[in-house]
Amino acid sequence: MSAYFAFARSSFHSQLAYRNEVWANIFGKLVQVFARVAIWQAAYAGVGAIVVEGVSLQQMVTYALLGGAVMGATRPERIIGEIGRSLKTGDVAIWLLKPLSYPLYLFANECGSFLYRLATQVIPTVAFTALFYGMLPPASPFHAVMFIAFWALSFALLFLISALFGLVAFWLMTSFSLDWILGALLQLFSGVLVPFWFFPEPLATIARHLPFAWIVYYPNAIYLGRLSTPEIWLHLGLGLGWAALFLAGVLWLWRCASSRITVQGG
Amino acid sequence: MTALIEARGVSKRFRQHKRFPGLLGALKTLVTNEYTEVLAVSDIGFDITAGEAVGYLGPNGAGKSTMIKMMTGILVPSAGTLSVLGRTPHLKRMDNAREIGVVFGQRSQLWWDLPLVDSFTLHQRIYDIPAARYADNLRRFSELLDLTPFLDRAVRQLSLGQRMRAEIVMSLLHDPKILFLDEPTIGLDVVAKDAVRRFLAEINRERGVTIILTTHDLQDIETICPRLIMVDHSRLIFDGELRSLRAALGSARRLTLEFASDPGPLPLRTAALVSDEGLRKNYLIEREDISLVAILSEVGSGRGLKDVALHEPDIEEVIRTFYQRRNADQRSNAKARAS
Repeated sequence: MSAYFAFARSSFHSQLAYRNEVWANIFGKLVQVFARVAIWQAAYAGVGAIVVEGVSLQQMVTYALLGGAVMGATRPERIIGEIGRSLKTGDVAIWLLKPLSYPLYLFANECGSFLYRLATQVIPTVAFTALFYGMLPPASPFHAVMFIAFWALSFALLFLISALFGLVAFWLMTSFSLDWILGALLQLFSGVLVPFWFFPEPLATIARHLPFAWIVYYPNAIYLGRLSTPEIWLHLGLGLGWAALFLAGVLWLWRCASSRITVQGG
Repeated sequence: MTALIEARGVSKRFRQHKRFPGLLGALKTLVTNEYTEVLAVSDIGFDITAGEAVGYLGPNGAGKSTMIKMMTGILVPSAGTLSVLGRTPHLKRMDNAREIGVVFGQRSQLWWDLPLVDSFTLHQRIYDIPAARYADNLRRFSELLDLTPFLDRAVRQLSLGQRMRAEIVMSLLHDPKILFLDEPTIGLDVVAKDAVRRFLAEINRERGVTIILTTHDLQDIETICPRLIMVDHSRLIFDGELRSLRAALGSARRLTLEFASDPGPLPLRTAALVSDEGLRKNYLIEREDISLVAILSEVGSGRGLKDVALHEPDIEEVIRTFYQRRNADQRSNAKARAS
């Protein structure tokens, strides 16, 4: 087990090698957050109302800031890229040579990068913009705790979905932009751009039932107190169910991939 | 004494999706299900006992890496049985992994962005190496291969030679019983090659680590491996001591005679004249049993012989003549079939 902690640590340290990236990322993230907030300000000004669909502008700004924090520290395209590359170049053989689980190694690695980006990029950006625009506190201490739990779940889900896409790339064996497809799905169905309460029906209902909803929408909605206590527990269970399903998918695809590598030589 | 590695009739066949050239071909590739079969290793058998150092030699594409991958458990043989340390490698990959070390000349196992020593500590964690043993191994190997000056440098800043030395040190930190090396000296300069060879020979001798290395650099084998397994076109063509290779494959020694004054044409019974530069004459000695004394007595004392040089054929030459002879045989066989 200590090996996986060491991987997380080393991936944290590896990131330090690219210090210039930090500033570029902070800048990029700031622009993104400013743009999102500006869109909501314009939208609310356009409607001329203080509360739309039961949500105030202040809540919407909080939602936009949180969205950046929750999803900002994971880079699905990097996970997909890393899996795809090591499968295609055959570097994955190196992982097969070690007494290790490759998926668990990837997860440990991602945990390290997540903490690094959280500490150096996401939290500074969100804190800065929050000072600028003002950010609401969690709806209650219970909601705060549940937000943290959902955040962790969101991280695990996003990792599993990305790993699944990365493994699928092994069979397609083309430069097919799976990362682009996942990016598009996330933009729309995670709720990072627009919360589902502004979606038209039946799109809103569909979106609420897709696993992507647990990545941004549910954590944020819980922070803002939009879900009742029984609903929170229900959705925690559902989210864990999705995570278990994706975990099974990843492990199954990994077994298929590794048996194909060992039988057919990749 | 039982063998550490036992290979019996091991074959590996790859099925490759048939690809068609061109744009239409690419579409055709997507819809067809045709395969071409490539035989990478066919019917190879050998035993390797503990403490041996074996060179696995062959030209590119002879199936050397495929064999290494099967022995390490990351490829499944298509036929035959393979046993490494009493286990079938691909069925017990994890157990096998703990007791073997593997170095790929063309594939780095070090962590690119971290200081070198971090790769080693990660390795310690992966293999659960007790701290004292790890420290002891690291110190000894680093000294032997002179790694100490750049232990704190990031791997991406190291030269190829430094990196390969580091790869080898890492592969030995968990005291593997067998060390597999796939082209460990590829791309290295003469000094680095020499350091690696001396180190491997020492590890084999002092620690009794069994070494199996693939290479197409014969110098590697001359320094490290008393035993040689040669493969070509997926088949085993020679397995035995390096010394007996010459006898088995039959390659002539070269003899140069230098004279104080030109003795004129000088054909000999014992050696065939290949070039005559007057004062200096070159001969080939085809038969192993002819001694230098026999030749010199045939030349006689009255010819003004000044100097004699006898060249044992180096291994490259031996192998070159082997391939030439075999290709000639194949051509004549083909002709015989055609007519």
